[in-house]
Amino acid sequence: MDTQSYTKEMPREKSVLRLVYDFLSGFKLATAVLLLLLLLTWLATLEQIDHGLYATLNKYFSWKSFFLIPEINGKKIPLILPGGYYVCALLLVNMILGGVIRIRKGPKQIGNLIAHFGIIFMLIAGGVAHHFEERGNMAIYPGESSNVAEDYHEYVIEVAEVKNGELDKFHIIRGDSLTDLKGGNQRKFDFKDVPFSLIVSGHLKNSQPVNITEQAPKKGELVTDGYYLFERPADETAERNIAGAYAQVVFDDGEKSAPFILFGASYYPFTVRDGERLFTVDMHKRLWQMPFDVKLDKFKAEFHPGTSRPAEFVSDVRRIENGQEAKVRIEMNEPMRYEGFTFFQASYGPPDAKPGDVMFTVLEVVKNPADMWPEYSLYIVAFGMLVTFLTKLIGHVQTVSKKRQNHAKKI
Amino acid sequence: MQKKSKVGSWVFAILAAIGLVMALVNLFIDNMPKGEVQKVEGYKPWDKETIDLVSELPLQDGGRIKPFSTFAGFKMLGYHGARSMKVKDDAGVVHKIKPTAWLMETVFRPHVAIKLPTFRIDNSKVLEAIDVKQKGRRDRYSYEEIIEGREKLFELAKSYEPIEKKKRDPEQQQTIDLAYNIRNYEALLGYFSYAITGVKLDGTGVDGAPDQRVDFSAVMSSAPGLIPELERIKSEQGRVPERLLSLLQQIEDGANYAKYGLFMLPPADTSKKDWLTAGNAIMETMTLKSDKPDVAIKDIAATEVAVRELANGEKGFREAMTRWIKRTNDRAKPDDIKFISLEATYFKRDFFLNAMILFLLGSISSLVMWGLGQSRVAKLFYWVTLSTTVIAVALCVTAIVIRCIIMQRPPVGNLYDTVIFIGTTGVILSLVVEWISRNRFSLGIAPVLGTALIILARRYEVGDAGDHLDPLVAVLDSNYWLTTHVICITLGYTGGLLAAMLSCGYILMRGLNLDGDNKELRRSLTKVVYGCICLTVFLSLVGTVLGGIWANYSWGRFWGWDPKENGALMIVLWTLAILHARLGGIIKDWGLHLASIFTACVIAFSWWHVNFLGVGLHNYGFTTGKGTIWIFYIVMLVFMLFGFMAMFMEKSSVDHKVQKNLDDADLAKS
Repeated sequence: MDTQSYTKEMPREKSVLRLVYDFLSGFKLATAVLLLLLLLTWLATLEQIDHGLYATLNKYFSWKSFFLIPEINGKKIPLILPGGYYVCALLLVNMILGGVIRIRKGPKQIGNLIAHFGIIFMLIAGGVAHHFEERGNMAIYPGESSNVAEDYHEYVIEVAEVKNGELDKFHIIRGDSLTDLKGGNQRKFDFKDVPFSLIVSGHLKNSQPVNITEQAPKKGELVTDGYYLFERPADETAERNIAGAYAQVVFDDGEKSAPFILFGASYYPFTVRDGERLFTVDMHKRLWQMPFDVKLDKFKAEFHPGTSRPAEFVSDVRRIENGQEAKVRIEMNEPMRYEGFTFFQASYGPPDAKPGDVMFTVLEVVKNPADMWPEYSLYIVAFGMLVTFLTKLIGHVQTVSKKRQNHAKKI
Repeated sequence: MQKKSKVGSWVFAILAAIGLVMALVNLFIDNMPKGEVQKVEGYKPWDKETIDLVSELPLQDGGRIKPFSTFAGFKMLGYHGARSMKVKDDAGVVHKIKPTAWLMETVFRPHVAIKLPTFRIDNSKVLEAIDVKQKGRRDRYSYEEIIEGREKLFELAKSYEPIEKKKRDPEQQQTIDLAYNIRNYEALLGYFSYAITGVKLDGTGVDGAPDQRVDFSAVMSSAPGLIPELERIKSEQGRVPERLLSLLQQIEDGANYAKYGLFMLPPADTSKKDWLTAGNAIMETMTLKSDKPDVAIKDIAATEVAVRELANGEKGFREAMTRWIKRTNDRAKPDDIKFISLEATYFKRDFFLNAMILFLLGSISSLVMWGLGQSRVAKLFYWVTLSTTVIAVALCVTAIVIRCIIMQRPPVGNLYDTVIFIGTTGVILSLVVEWISRNRFSLGIAPVLGTALIILARRYEVGDAGDHLDPLVAVLDSNYWLTTHVICITLGYTGGLLAAMLSCGYILMRGLNLDGDNKELRRSLTKVVYGCICLTVFLSLVGTVLGGIWANYSWGRFWGWDPKENGALMIVLWTLAILHARLGGIIKDWGLHLASIFTACVIAFSWWHVNFLGVGLHNYGFTTGKGTIWIFYIVMLVFMLFGFMAMFMEKSSVDHKVQKNLDDADLAKS
């Protein structure tokens, strides 16, 4: 009796852990997080008009972006918002705690539970794609084959030795080791079996080598061999940026070469000679290799008659692996999936091709461990929602039927 | 139950009257010609029989084969801003000219057509700049009236073209558009000049008689002998005789006038897809490049006969046209022309205009029904509203089904499709809700929604002036994804917009006390709105994920943060937030309805506004009508503001009553 009265009058105080749990699993947090994501999505949509998609995504949804200040029409909005990645992470926590653990269990909730599982799976798929997806493109002319895809954004420095007229033993400096080398920052890179190191500095995301006779440097840029790297503003379409950097060779005996420019769109690599050995140093977009070759047999681009409206793009390719060939057709909405790689019909060229000209195909190559997960999660969510709907419908029918029975009994 | 507020009823009646007037303005006044009906000398209307016959002449345009009437309809919309015009003939009789007759006039009787008020000018400053006499600020002009400023118009347009499109001011853009329209119109106007004038044979007139004329087809027949002979004379004499030069010049001019405009000749080689203009056929034959010159000659001869017969009356013209159409149909691929007749009928019937008139009648009837409460007369208007709405929606469904048959694809593939689909499904959903809830509220909303969306469709059609039945680009050409993803998303819009409209009604009803504090009706409406939001969540979520999967198949990424994708996600996030806020007790009835109204803003952003942003893969790239979207946002925000005020007033009134009761109780105790 005492206990009852105690319980009634003095509700037991919740522990801090419980309060945190209640908060993290509550509807209020769910609502707030959904609204915050809505706001971030809206602002990111508007901001990409001025800054392009790639830069906006990095600002709003990259894991490196903890908070952000939105900008619309070039004006900063006095509002500090959390990064979208972490808002999504909070939504994931909220869904696991609230939508799976805390949710009332019972036949009526089973549909909601399944739907929540589906959404959690989808969020995880998004996270996996965000961290592990690789994306590039492969351009092939009919009759030619390729086994490498070129990354859309990442510029790397490649050091290779020339042997028998061909490049051998590639050493790659990845983009994330270069992008912070701005201003006075520099980094020294050593390579196995290469008799020199490379000091890289002055990295620019979008650059252009300029001859000092055409335009004198204005910001005290390093001039080498009559040229310096001019910093261009980042392009709205990030794929169009051309990176550049300064490099200097340091031989094992301590001798240093003069600094030289590495530019992402240069026609020829820089060469370094050490005795009889010859090396090339080059900057280009990262190439990644596939375990098989893709040979283009035929490419067809069709347009609706009398218009420039595309009607059909088809690439008939042969996938060649260990001497075995398989014929595959890649077209719009019909990609080729094989060994974790997916090939999509992305584009074609040359852009100024006339009727009768030989055209090449551009295939987008994607490696995403979570490639099909969103599709599976959709089935789960749709099934969960259907169960909820049927549960409610059956409940409603039963209630109506009971009411009618009671009404009949009364009569 | 309290008494209904009289003031509230009046306010509602005024608002309803404003809405109705706006709809009527759109339906009648906006389609009427501006200014006085112009007199056109020499105008003689075409026989209906002739119009019906020519309307089914197949042409290639926009990547597909379509009837002459469809081509005419969108050309007329583009130039004239409407699908009809009125003119007076010499006797002062007023005639209504519809697209087929207008285009027939243009190509077959250009000397009369140049006097028709074909061009809609929205800003007279454009004409002022090219020294053309202006009428009103916004009026319609004939080619003849504009022609004196033609050269200056082209010069100005050329100087404006290098300016980036989004940086051009409206006058610059209108100048460019007018120049473009004039050029295109000229391609139609002079199209049959080869058949009208023929080729004059210089020096053949004897004793002061005029020189003889021969048909282009006759000259084309002589090409195999004529061209080598010309080459021979040229090489031997070093120059071509004047008479022959004149003949060649006339051929070239005739072919050039007919080089664009009407792609009306099916390829002689059935493996080819591109149809030819008369100009192509003449030039290919005369330069000996035609694969089958005999076919081209017969084609041109058939058109010449028709044009010549017209001078003798329409009967002979019809007979010649019948032969011409048969010739075209016999050679065209059967699949290309099998729906020509159906399409001509589709535009002739004007299903959506008829549906709009019925919806409008239904809207008026529904207002009377609401105004009369539960009386017998109200019941009569209930049936009037129901029957007009059902017939109107049946017309819309028929039109959509016909469109699907013609396009051979699911109903939604472009922005125009979305408007008519959402209008139709919105009305159907309202009727279903009415069937479940039986509150007369949803029934009344149905024709209003139908009217609003058909007005939007008509506005968009005029602004875009592009054929919305044209084929889709490769990436969209997937019936599976158009059926699943696009339909889901569009139905999600329907659910959300209906919820918002019902909530607007709820806010007005409760805020103005039109329902006499009818709690049962309010509860029923709240349930309906909640149900619509649940439906929106389901359809938008599934539709958005399906879109992601489609994107993964097409472009290799599930999510690309494209504005259209973001818009769809925003609808999902917003409706999910509403449901969670409702479940968590953060919002009650007022909150639910206010949030539901805001759903319309989120949907408007996703459906329309993203198209104005000029970025993304789903960008339709149009810029007109941006003001309308802001008006829509403002109207919705005004509803929300009114709702907030009504909510606070009601709460303070309730608090006041509770306080008064407590005071009374205290007083009684003491």
